[in-house]
Amino acid sequence: MQIYLPIAEMSANIVTLIGMGGLVGFMSGMFGVGGGFLMTPLLIFIGIPPAVAVASEANQIVASSVSGGLAHWQRRAVDIRMGLILMSGGIAGSYAGVQLFKLLRALGHVDLLISLSYVIFLSVIGGLMLRESLHAIRETRRGRPIRVRRPGQHSWILRLPLRMRFRQSRLYISVIPPLLIGFLVGVLSAIMGVGGGFIMVPAMIYLLRMPTNVVIGTSLFQIIFVTSAVTILHAVENQTVDIVLAVLLMIGGVIGAQFGAIVGQRLRGEELRALLALIVLGVASKLLLDLVFQPEELFSIQRMGTGS
Amino acid sequence: MTHKTLLFRCVLGLLGMMGTIPTAHANALVADLSKDQIRVASNFTGEKILLFGAIETTATQGASDVVVVVRGPAENFTLRQKKRVAGIWVNAEALTLGPLPGYYAVASTRPLDEIAPVSERAKHEIGPENLRFNLLEDIAQKPDSAAHPDDGTQAEDGALYHDSFVRIKSQQKLYSVDPTGVRIIGARLFRAELTLPSGLPFGTYITEFFLFQDGRVIGYQTGELSVEITGLEHLLQVAAHDMPLLYGLFGVFIAGVMGWGVATLFRRV
Repeated sequence: MQIYLPIAEMSANIVTLIGMGGLVGFMSGMFGVGGGFLMTPLLIFIGIPPAVAVASEANQIVASSVSGGLAHWQRRAVDIRMGLILMSGGIAGSYAGVQLFKLLRALGHVDLLISLSYVIFLSVIGGLMLRESLHAIRETRRGRPIRVRRPGQHSWILRLPLRMRFRQSRLYISVIPPLLIGFLVGVLSAIMGVGGGFIMVPAMIYLLRMPTNVVIGTSLFQIIFVTSAVTILHAVENQTVDIVLAVLLMIGGVIGAQFGAIVGQRLRGEELRALLALIVLGVASKLLLDLVFQPEELFSIQRMGTGS
Repeated sequence: MTHKTLLFRCVLGLLGMMGTIPTAHANALVADLSKDQIRVASNFTGEKILLFGAIETTATQGASDVVVVVRGPAENFTLRQKKRVAGIWVNAEALTLGPLPGYYAVASTRPLDEIAPVSERAKHEIGPENLRFNLLEDIAQKPDSAAHPDDGTQAEDGALYHDSFVRIKSQQKLYSVDPTGVRIIGARLFRAELTLPSGLPFGTYITEFFLFQDGRVIGYQTGELSVEITGLEHLLQVAAHDMPLLYGLFGVFIAGVMGWGVATLFRRV
């Protein structure tokens, strides 16, 4: 059954879109990740214009992060003050990201920006995750307890000026690092159509030293607002948010995530992470190959309106 | 029937301009469409239209041919060419062409080159290769004119870009040439079936019917066809462009409601 996507200006199969939402939602529930970094490339692979894929996926993530964040909120596992600081940086970052996006779109380079960002981030994250999970698997096979790696001391970063007390996280640190982290994630969110949890969560644990029990909730809290800002900014600046597409992905995504979470609890953590790492590296390779090999069609058309 | 009167005046005016066609043959061709409005809703996957009419061939020598052209609203298009830079393929050069129709279909009783000489086809813009367009300066891309020093390369580039434009549009089924798409029935009636694909540009389309004899146009009629987006899709498309802030807020609102709704639902189950 076909449906017309009014902003993408193309017809797509409803079952395919809901199915993709469900599959990625299932994986995100199973692995405990957002899923934007898998969904946006998949949308591009089925022919959705990359700029529309990014903006509409940001819109979908609003739904999945509200859905996931609600439970953490009710358990009071959200550091609201930290969330607001990260969010301020994030909204500034998403503004910068959308402006960059708009500029490169006018120059015809936005597809390249999206692909390159994905290739770089997916390779790094996938590579690190694969190494870490393979190491963990080897250690458990040998019967050794997994050593929790103590990251190096970064405390000088946290002792920068403008310190603030974060009661929920039991921290008294400078607001500069969380503002910068928020900014960076905001830029990535605008360019890649992701929530950015894959950067935010490690940064909160290793750089900001936040206690793990508030990390996921706080990350989701700020993702809700930053992806909302990204959605609104893309709608205003680029008119690339396809609500029909986003809603179809939401339907599949939120339902898939619920089932994924159930399955995920029955599987071994490190093997799960190795599997996710392989999927991430697979997507990165496909995007890289598409950039390296000569495309069948060297020309592309962009409608410019009647502009007299 | 003001519509028909207007059409008739158009035909007369056009015939007058062409001069060579005797006015006695003004009604050598009468044609119409099966529908004059296409509504694109969420389930739109393309639609067939029937173009039909009658011809009157007084001259006995020489075969009569009918050519039917449907063209969508004209727009400007930026074409970008990918080149390899540092091992990856990136958009390197761009040209803006226009105005060109966003949709163009031609159907005929025989291959076009058998019906009329190039000059005649070019005059009536019959066939995608005969569409007239301008090379427009690319506002964003080319602050330096050094990339295109003289008009010769400009024209060459124009042809290359135009060929590529037609090729891509044909792949998208938005440009088509059907050399056997028009059937003549009993030397008097003709019919052509055209399948409009999904992804049609919206606006007013122009239909043109030509009656050719001995390589010359002896009958002509033109008409209109409107392609409109309707329903929720229409509302969303208008809102996205005219009220983008409200549209964005609406997207966020829906996402919030859906996320909250599903989370609540699953907790109860």
